[in-house]
Amino acid sequence: MNDFSSYLRRKQPVLSRRSFLGDIGMGFSSIALASLLKQDGYATEAWAPPTGQPHFPPKAKSVIWLFMRGGVSHMESFDPKPELTKYAGKTIGETPYKSVQDPDKLKKVRVVVVNDANGKQRNVIYPLQTGFRKAGQSGIEVSDFFPHLRESVDDLAIIRSMWTTDDNHGAQVQFHSGRHMLDGRFPTIGAWVNYGLGSLNENLPQFINMGPRFFDARDGHYLGPAYDAVPLKIDPKAPLDFAKPESDITGAEQAAEFALLGKLNRFSAVKYPQDPNLLARIKAYELAFRMQAAVPEVIKFDAESESVKKLYGLDDAATKPFGMQLLAARRFAERGVRFIQIQHGDGAAGAWDAHSGLKNNHTKLAREVDKPIAGLLQDLKQRGMLEDTMVVFATEFGRTPGSQGADGRDHHPYGFSVWMAGGGIKGGIAHGSTDELGFHATEHPHYVTDVHATIMHQLGLDSRKLEVPGRKRLDVDHGHVIQDILA
Amino acid sequence: MFPAGQGKSVDRNRLHLRALLPVFLLLMLCCSDLCAASRIDYVTQIKPILVERCYACHGVLKQQGKLRVDTAEFLKQGGKHGAGLLAGNPDESRLIERVSARAEDERMPPEGEPLKPEQIALIKLWVAQGAKAPANEKPEADPKDHWAFKAPLRPEVPKVKSREWAQNPIDAFIAAGHQQQGLKPQGLAEKSLWLRRVYLDLIGLPPSLQEMRDFEADNSAQAYEKVVDRLLASPQYGERWGRHFMDIWRYTDWYGLGEQLRYSQKHLWHWRDWIVESLNKDKGYDRMVLEMLAGDEIAPTDRDTLRATGFLARNYYLFNRTTWLDDVVEHTSKAFLGITMNCAKCHDHKYDPVTAKDYYAWRAFFEPYHVRLDELPGEPDLEKNGLPRAYDVHLDTPTYLFVRGDEKHPDKSKEIAPMVPVIFKLRALEIKPVDLPPEGYNPALSADIYQNHLTQAQSQLKEARAALEKAREKAAEVEKLIENTKGKALVPLLKHQDDFRNPNTALWHKIGGEWRYEADGLNQTETGSQRRMLRSQMDHPADFRAKFRFKITGGEKWKSTGFSFDADDAHDVLVYLSAHSSSKLQVAISENGKSSYPSQGAFNRPVKTGIAYELDIYVQGRQLTILMDGEEALSFELPSRRPGRFQLVTFDASAEFQDFALYELPADFVRTPVDGEARRTASKLALATANQNLFVAERRLTALQSARQADEARFAGVKTDDLTALLKRAATDAVAWKIAEGEALDAKHKEDSALLEGKKKTDASKKYQTAKMAISKELGRFKNSTTNYFQLRGSLKALEGPDETEEHRELPFPATSTGRRTALAEWIANEQNPLTARVAVNHLWLRHFGQPLVPTVMDFGRRGAAPTHPELLDWLATEFMASGWSMKHMHRLMVLSRTYRLSSSNADAPKASLAKDAENKYYWRMNPVRMEAQALRDSLLQLAGQLDLTMGGPTINPEKEDTVFRRSLYFTHSKEDVHKFLETFDNANVLECYRRPESVLPQQALALSNSKLSMVAAGKLTEIFLKNSGTASDDGFIRVAYQSILAVEPNKAELEACGEALLELRSLAEKQGQADPVKRARAGLVHALFNHNDFITVR
Repeated sequence: MNDFSSYLRRKQPVLSRRSFLGDIGMGFSSIALASLLKQDGYATEAWAPPTGQPHFPPKAKSVIWLFMRGGVSHMESFDPKPELTKYAGKTIGETPYKSVQDPDKLKKVRVVVVNDANGKQRNVIYPLQTGFRKAGQSGIEVSDFFPHLRESVDDLAIIRSMWTTDDNHGAQVQFHSGRHMLDGRFPTIGAWVNYGLGSLNENLPQFINMGPRFFDARDGHYLGPAYDAVPLKIDPKAPLDFAKPESDITGAEQAAEFALLGKLNRFSAVKYPQDPNLLARIKAYELAFRMQAAVPEVIKFDAESESVKKLYGLDDAATKPFGMQLLAARRFAERGVRFIQIQHGDGAAGAWDAHSGLKNNHTKLAREVDKPIAGLLQDLKQRGMLEDTMVVFATEFGRTPGSQGADGRDHHPYGFSVWMAGGGIKGGIAHGSTDELGFHATEHPHYVTDVHATIMHQLGLDSRKLEVPGRKRLDVDHGHVIQDILA
Repeated sequence: MFPAGQGKSVDRNRLHLRALLPVFLLLMLCCSDLCAASRIDYVTQIKPILVERCYACHGVLKQQGKLRVDTAEFLKQGGKHGAGLLAGNPDESRLIERVSARAEDERMPPEGEPLKPEQIALIKLWVAQGAKAPANEKPEADPKDHWAFKAPLRPEVPKVKSREWAQNPIDAFIAAGHQQQGLKPQGLAEKSLWLRRVYLDLIGLPPSLQEMRDFEADNSAQAYEKVVDRLLASPQYGERWGRHFMDIWRYTDWYGLGEQLRYSQKHLWHWRDWIVESLNKDKGYDRMVLEMLAGDEIAPTDRDTLRATGFLARNYYLFNRTTWLDDVVEHTSKAFLGITMNCAKCHDHKYDPVTAKDYYAWRAFFEPYHVRLDELPGEPDLEKNGLPRAYDVHLDTPTYLFVRGDEKHPDKSKEIAPMVPVIFKLRALEIKPVDLPPEGYNPALSADIYQNHLTQAQSQLKEARAALEKAREKAAEVEKLIENTKGKALVPLLKHQDDFRNPNTALWHKIGGEWRYEADGLNQTETGSQRRMLRSQMDHPADFRAKFRFKITGGEKWKSTGFSFDADDAHDVLVYLSAHSSSKLQVAISENGKSSYPSQGAFNRPVKTGIAYELDIYVQGRQLTILMDGEEALSFELPSRRPGRFQLVTFDASAEFQDFALYELPADFVRTPVDGEARRTASKLALATANQNLFVAERRLTALQSARQADEARFAGVKTDDLTALLKRAATDAVAWKIAEGEALDAKHKEDSALLEGKKKTDASKKYQTAKMAISKELGRFKNSTTNYFQLRGSLKALEGPDETEEHRELPFPATSTGRRTALAEWIANEQNPLTARVAVNHLWLRHFGQPLVPTVMDFGRRGAAPTHPELLDWLATEFMASGWSMKHMHRLMVLSRTYRLSSSNADAPKASLAKDAENKYYWRMNPVRMEAQALRDSLLQLAGQLDLTMGGPTINPEKEDTVFRRSLYFTHSKEDVHKFLETFDNANVLECYRRPESVLPQQALALSNSKLSMVAAGKLTEIFLKNSGTASDDGFIRVAYQSILAVEPNKAELEACGEALLELRSLAEKQGQADPVKRARAGLVHALFNHNDFITVR
């Protein structure tokens, strides 16, 4: 269909109040989007851009989105499959569960890379590489790779029945945007939230990313660059690009220049009245000036107590990098940032991509994230923030029950696990299931957009009301709220 | 599309629940709404469902089963299966039966999700209520009548009363619009603003102050034309507009994963240069299209033209041929024709007369094509340079329709031939295969490419000769060394020794410093830039060895510690280690108190504090040799010698000396004992290898020359007998060459086996095995063959998938090309084609006037937006074609129009205009436009006098943005190579960019105010101003700055505000103790103006 991303521009009607409250975090394009769509005849007069208000009373205010790049093994994290150990070394065909490979059941996968060495059926069952233990009142089993999270299991709603259709790492795009790589590029969940909801803080961007990105650095797509995540680094000296003057200019000099600039631009508004871009630019400079001061303050942890820092594992070299991002995430959420996207596991395909040496790989990576995430949950809880902050732990797909090479597992889109916590999500439940081999999501299968739908629902948004004219969204794009995990 | 059925299989449970919903709904409606006589409104409630889900097959486009549903009347009439509905009787209506059918093969619509239960309920209710519809309901218009699908006819230019608006036909059309709409155009922009506008528009750079003044002063009638002609003739025009077309044509440099090339091609910049040059030459747009799509067919050996096919090379995708060709289909149709062919991949187009079959017929034009990299003269290494280009290789690969777009389900029952959609067919498409000249499919036949290889072979030969010469010399040296060292003394004689446990005043006296004897040795602890020394009480022998161990324990900066000799108060030679951040071993020579640090006497190596190092120094005559921790580190020839003392020296270092010994060297001393026989063996083996290598180089040259003769003969049609002889000789020579290579490998292997040890030896051996195998394989090909010889390639085929090997690349290229792309290009770039010229002029108009005439620039189909000025569009399109598709002609017309001269201000506009056309659809004023990323960066550099106008050539790494000041279009640009500054200002999306977004973001404010780019530019421009006269006073400075940067005079309020700011900035600078507070304050003002909205905006 047509591409409107190229249209997000120019000549808007005078800005409404919403434009400054709603857009202040990121930019001023949704008005442009609106007028443009009307001008082009795609939008009727009746259509209006989102008001920035939730459509119904929300349960959650912010989302902390934790994405493990590369593909976490569901069988070795949140979905124990003792049958794997029992049938280790046998082919799937030799087990009672050989029907999992019925061709009809394997159809949904769509291949991007033909003749790829990965994403193949792996037939020889590989035993579990770690133990499981029950914990909490719920008695849900979590693997020994995640001992700290296990202690928080009563806060988690684990969804053991996820599926997706991309058998390669394009599934990272799919998990964020809802669509397969071959369908083109679409706005991500963070961009939709940013588009739909107004700002809670005039000094901070409303959608930020920390850590590596997945394949695609443009989150907004047809919604426009105003809805891309602002990339941040945990470096108070340079938290975002061009955060500080690349010269010896002093703060006082810069303030004097900004003051002059503000005046001159306002004079210009007399020569060029009703120029929405001019007004937007004046606001953008004001926000930039505030952001320049506000962002470094958020990622400075001086005011945090030693015990809190310990909670996030800042005292341990292995947990410190991720722990700092999570502590920053809490501080951003506290200040009203809507969507905080944190990706873990650098490298082209993502670090969790354990085609070989799964045990070492997951031991190391789980150690990096386990304590900080448990710390985050605990911290949010003790501050009363868990009630309206959603934490989502996701990954692009699971890993094969069969072994790849001597000691690895391949990509596995047919069944895998994610979990959610906080923001009105029920704690201590394991929802849905895979078959005995962990092959297919069988009970309550959920496509990736069901996670999006649940987030939107908790934020009080109706994704159907966020339709952009000329950009038809399919049913699958909206997903279905996972009702069973709502508190 | 998302494959249907996926959602369904998992949602079964939910569906069952949902199935009950319509019943419930209907009950509810029946009892309340129906009884309350609430009427279903056909137009707002029913028709939208039909439009959305049924028109595609049962509208004017297709009328399947002879059924149309685009009016209620048609629906009632029905098709070949009878009436579509029975008013008042939903149970007997086929429409309802079919949309609510349970069986999938019965149910309508056949694709996508079924209608929602509530939609079905609505339709039922509507039928039950009598299927009422407005009497005058109009059927869907015939697509053939769609404006864009009919060739443009040259409309008459409207007669306009105002003489000012009658000069230029564009103005006449625009003025007619004003009259019709009752709009009064704004006045003209200031002359200086027009000048800035047209400069940025045509060349992407602002005018200089002098150019503005000259233009202001030129009151001649041709003043405007002169400027436009000059700008259009400037090479920067091609760069500016080249970048626009690079957007539309999706320019991207190659990217992939690490070294793996996945997208586009290396050296794609040749295509960029072709675009820039073509525009500068004002090559016809029709010709450009032809060259880009089929340059290899119309000019198979002309490298300049072949560059154009970079358009197709850009689409290369390693992994999936269908994804690749989907991109080609989508973007050839969008870019040139404004048709969204991509919608027809899985099903017939829902809005335009393009069927899925048309989609695959379009693909068929491109089915045979592939991509390769041709060698260019002067550079045989394709990694360094090469020409990415298209050519046909899959001559017989059939094209099939993929059922529902699924490549796994090709419909093999029918091969699909290349064809354009029927509705656009002008006449039978003539597809004539093209016989390529031999150089076209065998580029190595070109004399200049042969020369590449010849040069390479010759230089290999030269190198081999030189290497052999060297090996001979070395062998002779070995013999000499063996001779010289016969019976020489090898033992140095110990003269002085100190373990630094106790003071030894007989040996040393100290000069400066704080020296203490501690458990581990002697410590000197004073730092700072001055020498602290222990000097010997006596001279050292002329030839000696000094060996000592020490630790540098600290220091402020240099942290240097060492040993000197030939020393008195004004001279010495110092050998020292420095633990400075660029640490090293250095020889320093002091003559008459002045030190020099010869570069041959420096050896960079890590030196750390707290680690003990041992220096072992041999001085024999003028020869100085230094061993560090037992390894030879440095040899140095001293310029002169003199008798003197020896000293331990620290310089800005605290140090601990652990032991020291000094030996006298006998006159015939040699440091390293020579194992004569071993050296002799080694030199002989090396000589043998060098001999073999020379032999290889000779054989290679011969093989190359005879291959060339064979090649030439083959393609020149030489008599069979002679040809056979030549081929045979070429094959024999190739075999001889390969045998020589094998023998050279053997020689090297023998050498390595004798001389190497441990891992190095096994590694070398492995390498040998692999190389040997490769050679025997090649030998196999050449041996006993009369046709296989060492044939020159001159081109490298791009891999067709990740599992292809190098061998796949060597298959010969076909001697013909299908001619399909030529046929397509000739059809596109044809005056009969209703779309091509319109789409092109719309792109030009958009970039001149800030908004397009057809808002949906890549969709001129029925779903696209209608043109705001249809006659103007058609006049422009016909004018464009009549001018020989000259873009410069169109630019000239547009920028010289009065419309283009209007002010962009709303100020004092009549209320009526604002109310009627706030969006300025009718051009009653000019549209302000935000500078594109490239124009912004280039303008800053230009104003600062920094811009480097070198044109063309390889791309520049964006990381060099602070040191390379070339125009921005020359930076590497791909999804992976991102220029941070440009990206912040909506740089082109390489996947699709028919029009750039113009966002306003806080990050842009940060980039423009904080970047080094704008900071440095502000400083440089201030210096330029200060050099010029008229800027002595603050007032004068502000005026000049305003004019140069914003192209206007400041008004009183602005002058005042700037003046106040200058005072404040100056006092801040004074308080900081800045050297030149005036300059610093003024640079601050310039910097603020760079951030002014009217700088980034083209007013």
